[in-house]
Amino acid sequence: MERETGSRREAVRQAAALWVVRLGDPSCSAADRAAFEAWRDESHENEAAFEREAAAWARLDRLRAMRPGPVRLTEARPDRDLLAPERRLILPRFSRSPWARGMAAVTVAAVVGAGVMTFGSGTAYATAIGERRVVVLSDNSRIELNTDSKVVVRYRKGVREVKLVRGEAVFEAAKDARPFVIKAADAVMQADAGAEMAVRLRSDGAAVTVKRGAVALDPEPTERKDPVRLTAGVAAIYSSAGHRSRVVSDSEIDRALAWRQGAIALNGQSLEQAVAEFNRYNRQQISIADPSISGLRLAGYFQTTEPKSFVSAVTSTFPVRAFEDSDGAIRLSRRG
Amino acid sequence: MTQDDEHRRAWFRREILPLEPDLLAYARQFCRDGQTDPEDLVHETFARAIACKTWREIGNPAGFATRILRNCALDALRRRKVLTITAVADFDRIEPIDETPGAHMMLESREELRALADAIAELPTQCRRVFTLRKVYSLSPDEIAVRLGLSVSTVEKHLVKGLRYCSEKLGRRIGRKSKVDEGRSWSARRDHDAKR
Repeated sequence: MERETGSRREAVRQAAALWVVRLGDPSCSAADRAAFEAWRDESHENEAAFEREAAAWARLDRLRAMRPGPVRLTEARPDRDLLAPERRLILPRFSRSPWARGMAAVTVAAVVGAGVMTFGSGTAYATAIGERRVVVLSDNSRIELNTDSKVVVRYRKGVREVKLVRGEAVFEAAKDARPFVIKAADAVMQADAGAEMAVRLRSDGAAVTVKRGAVALDPEPTERKDPVRLTAGVAAIYSSAGHRSRVVSDSEIDRALAWRQGAIALNGQSLEQAVAEFNRYNRQQISIADPSISGLRLAGYFQTTEPKSFVSAVTSTFPVRAFEDSDGAIRLSRRG
Repeated sequence: MTQDDEHRRAWFRREILPLEPDLLAYARQFCRDGQTDPEDLVHETFARAIACKTWREIGNPAGFATRILRNCALDALRRRKVLTITAVADFDRIEPIDETPGAHMMLESREELRALADAIAELPTQCRRVFTLRKVYSLSPDEIAVRLGLSVSTVEKHLVKGLRYCSEKLGRRIGRKSKVDEGRSWSARRDHDAKR
């Protein structure tokens, strides 16, 4: 009798896995099915190996529970990096309550038709706390506004100018003869056609992350210096003290922009930073009553509109207790 | 006939497949001299178990699978040209796996979900993306090919690779504390030895 070897086992399992994938494909034909049955009838070894791979495939269907709720206004774009290692979930069950999805839908719907004001030559677009919105401009450029944000758009003959007045936004500059200029906190940026970047105002200055294309950043337009060129995958921070930039990975950019999917992605941030992040999106505010817990590090993927899920994840993971005041504010303190 | 085959396969899925981590731990004890691959023993055990036409009469699937595995191990031993003393001596000292019904529970659901997500996270980037779009977002291979600018056959290859990785990982995973404690000393457990 011939001795079985690992490579033979692997070859059989490999073939079985390919059949599982093929049969699961909606475009699988009757001929494929017949070929599969012929293969399976060849041996009980094939039959058992197929059952084994098929069982694993079926178990993996449970991953659908990881899918975040539909929150985008314009399109539901599947997030291919949802399960990237940097985004390990703390407690996945929290990310999908029907309540949260309902709320997100309501919030997005409420935005439509509200928050547009035209004055002079510019048009202002704004969001309230917890809202997001996508604005498509006349040249097909897009602006996606995060929570509690405001931009003023001024398109003139020689220039397309947008000013970030409050909060955070992603800008996608469409191709056009006129330059696309973004003003934010005293700085002026000129985006290449096709560029996509996020700008977030800080207490002093702003943070810029370039996702696609390139942007020329001039942090101090009054000084006569050459602008800094930021290319895709670069993040820069500027303030009155100066500016610095660094290279960031795609996944880091996706995490920073998780809000476009209605999520907050934490990857080692402190509890203090995480709480500040949640408070941007919710009227229900969280505070840390005990400084000794502010430094706890968190990782996970949360719905922006679900501070309570975040809080229960924190209290079940750390020695932290949550107390809800009569006005709804949540206070976190050390337990025990 | 086909109907009956389907019942037989369903029985295999339900009763035998979930035993894999335990069977693998059990198989390792027959392979202490490194001459046989324990995974091969489990693989062969599955092939022999699914072939059983009288499955309806089996009251204790774990005991049934254990006996098959033991026979596979014996056959592997007989096929060898050189027998080591330890291989034969070990044979009589191996404790059977826990045969009490219900001992082989699947992982608790939340833990399972996390284990699955962890497995996906360990895949190479492109493979992980293809797998995520297929299993989390239920996109078809055609749609994934368009979205990621790949050929359908490349998408298929990534899916096969991802599935193989996950099925191996799931097969090794034990959701509860294993009854087969490989760390225990051999002399201390003689009293409990299987006498078959």
